[in-house]
Amino acid sequence: MTTQVLTKSEIGLNGDAVATLSQQKQEPTWFTDLRHRAWRFFEEIPWPTGNEEEWRRTRLTGLDIADYKLASGTPEASSDAADLVPYLRDELDSINAAAALVTEDGTVRYRGVDAGLAAKGVIFTDLDTAIRQHPELIQTYFMTNNVAVDANKFTALHAAFVTGGAVLYVPRNVQVELPFHGVTAVSGGVADFAHTLIIAEENSQVTYVDDLISQDSNATFHSGVVEIFAGPGAVVRYMHGQDWNTNTWHFSTQQAQMLRDAQLTWILSSWGSRLSKINLEMQLLERGGHGELLGLYFPSGRQHIDHHTMQNHFADNCTSDLLFKGALRDRARSVYSGSIKVWPAAQKTDAYQKNNNLVLDRRARADSIPGLEIEADDVRCTHGATVSKIEPEYLFYLMARSLTKFQAEQMIVTGFFEEVLNRVPVEGVRNKLEQVIARKIHM
Amino acid sequence: MTSELVIQNLHVTVNDGEKEVLKGVNLTIRQDEIHALMGPNGSGKSTLAYAIMGHPHYTVTEGDILLDGESVLEMEPNERARKGLFLAFQYPVAVPGVSMANFLRTAVSNVRGYTDQQPTSEDGRPGVIGSNLMPMRDFRRELLDKMDEYHVDRDFAKRYLNEGFSGGEKKRVEILQMAMLQPKIAIMDETDSGLDIDALRVVSDGVNKLAGTGLGILLITHYQRILEYVKPDYVHVFYNGRIVRSGGAEVAHELEARGYQSVREEFGEPELVTA
Repeated sequence: MTTQVLTKSEIGLNGDAVATLSQQKQEPTWFTDLRHRAWRFFEEIPWPTGNEEEWRRTRLTGLDIADYKLASGTPEASSDAADLVPYLRDELDSINAAAALVTEDGTVRYRGVDAGLAAKGVIFTDLDTAIRQHPELIQTYFMTNNVAVDANKFTALHAAFVTGGAVLYVPRNVQVELPFHGVTAVSGGVADFAHTLIIAEENSQVTYVDDLISQDSNATFHSGVVEIFAGPGAVVRYMHGQDWNTNTWHFSTQQAQMLRDAQLTWILSSWGSRLSKINLEMQLLERGGHGELLGLYFPSGRQHIDHHTMQNHFADNCTSDLLFKGALRDRARSVYSGSIKVWPAAQKTDAYQKNNNLVLDRRARADSIPGLEIEADDVRCTHGATVSKIEPEYLFYLMARSLTKFQAEQMIVTGFFEEVLNRVPVEGVRNKLEQVIARKIHM
Repeated sequence: MTSELVIQNLHVTVNDGEKEVLKGVNLTIRQDEIHALMGPNGSGKSTLAYAIMGHPHYTVTEGDILLDGESVLEMEPNERARKGLFLAFQYPVAVPGVSMANFLRTAVSNVRGYTDQQPTSEDGRPGVIGSNLMPMRDFRRELLDKMDEYHVDRDFAKRYLNEGFSGGEKKRVEILQMAMLQPKIAIMDETDSGLDIDALRVVSDGVNKLAGTGLGILLITHYQRILEYVKPDYVHVFYNGRIVRSGGAEVAHELEARGYQSVREEFGEPELVTA
């Protein structure tokens, strides 16, 4: 174990801490006000009791936010990847990126930005810097029209303590080939509130890879928000890889807003955490939008992973295509609940939603609750859910060709995820996903 | 040494029905021999094939299956495959997302002993995909050569195993796998069923080519048709869970002339077997 001199100060999660944090960061009043307002929401919104529909299958037994401290310190960013500790450098190296931002315990550790991109007007920086240097951007987009501060108890807590995370702004007609890479790392005992804000203006093209990793195996708490804006004709690809240790509480609310003819590929993978509660919403606000939403999860041990998705069609002639696939081992549990909502104006909607679960052990359990809410009459909406075990005939066929039971199962599980993996557009991400799946099989 | 598969007084029941499907099968197959096993539907032919390979759905209640003198009954299907048994399936399953090349490389690596050279992962589990496999270049070269030789389109390597393959393509890929795995004894379960005449010819050519390499073959079939292309050394008539007649090629011709009805008349109506 390496010893690190931490310059961070640690503060508990309470009302006083909001002021302390804001002061420490020397934030403008408007942002301090936002934090205070958020804290009030947090105090007003009751903790889930388990009677609410969305909390019926996911209990927060064992969670006490007083166990976690906010870590924040003076940014000590380096632009030399060699300065990073190995686990961060490995993570950075996994993606061939146009620019990268590495944050550890709310502190920026590495900042690699391409000067050419800045010249084109691309902004890619941490939230603290964006608040100082681009206040108008943050005032316009940060938890205003997209994810609401009071969307739920965890978004309120997030807004009160937000630290770290990244802001990416891509001006109109700017197309960036290589992905932007954000890495959020958290160490034991820390409460993390990383925020990802992506604004892709008209006809821009951008890919963002967001990775969440643990520094050690001790318990942490994460309450994150992701906000994506895809302007008219913009092409956005967002890949969110949650790979915390299995002692982490993970709460994430993510929402994408898409304007006319925007295209979004959104890929979410949930590997780590003790418990995850994830809310995803895709809003197709203007005609011609096309959204693809892919999910992978593979809980093991006693992990509990809960995804809720919403394909929200406000406008006509939009398509959305969702595929979530999960394998479960040991005594793991997963919950998938999804909804396709089609508003009266959203004629000619074509929406698809599919959730497949492969349950590998007798004591693992997957619940799948698909749903439709359709108020337009000329639409095509399909949904389907399956929970199945490994086909004995697949196993026999592969074993008859000399594969051991373990090899055969590994092949069948990897093959099960293949339908999603072959739709992952970034090679580095695909490789990483394959590695995690192999790791989960071997655990 | 010439390998031989000896089936001795084999009795087999279906697990969930306790119904006896094989009622005392005796058969010896040596390398370099082609045996045709002919019988009507429901006579238990496929059960014999599955039982030899160790399908968990069937239980051997009496008798033995010996490969080179060693009983295989306690072996898992993969161990039987490693000992040199091969089953060409009547209905090869499509395994979603598993590419033919990937799967076959692992299988070939197992059979040829690559995977048991060393522990293959940190936790010492054997045979982990991607480690300790036959070198990719060698495997590819051999696979592509064999694909050409057995008339399988090269892009099948990248395709998912049996997914969207036509009946004829599936059977050709079975033969290709057999050629790659180089077993001692192969059981071919109705490899000819559902094939048109061209596909039948291609598949038969493959079988003949492999038969010339010292393979012992048990060709299970309902029809006389494939025997126009593959010349068996021995023909056995299978009926009601056992072999009722054995001989040379003349047995098949006799059967062709008189049909299974004559067998039924001679040996009586069986209980219907649905497995």
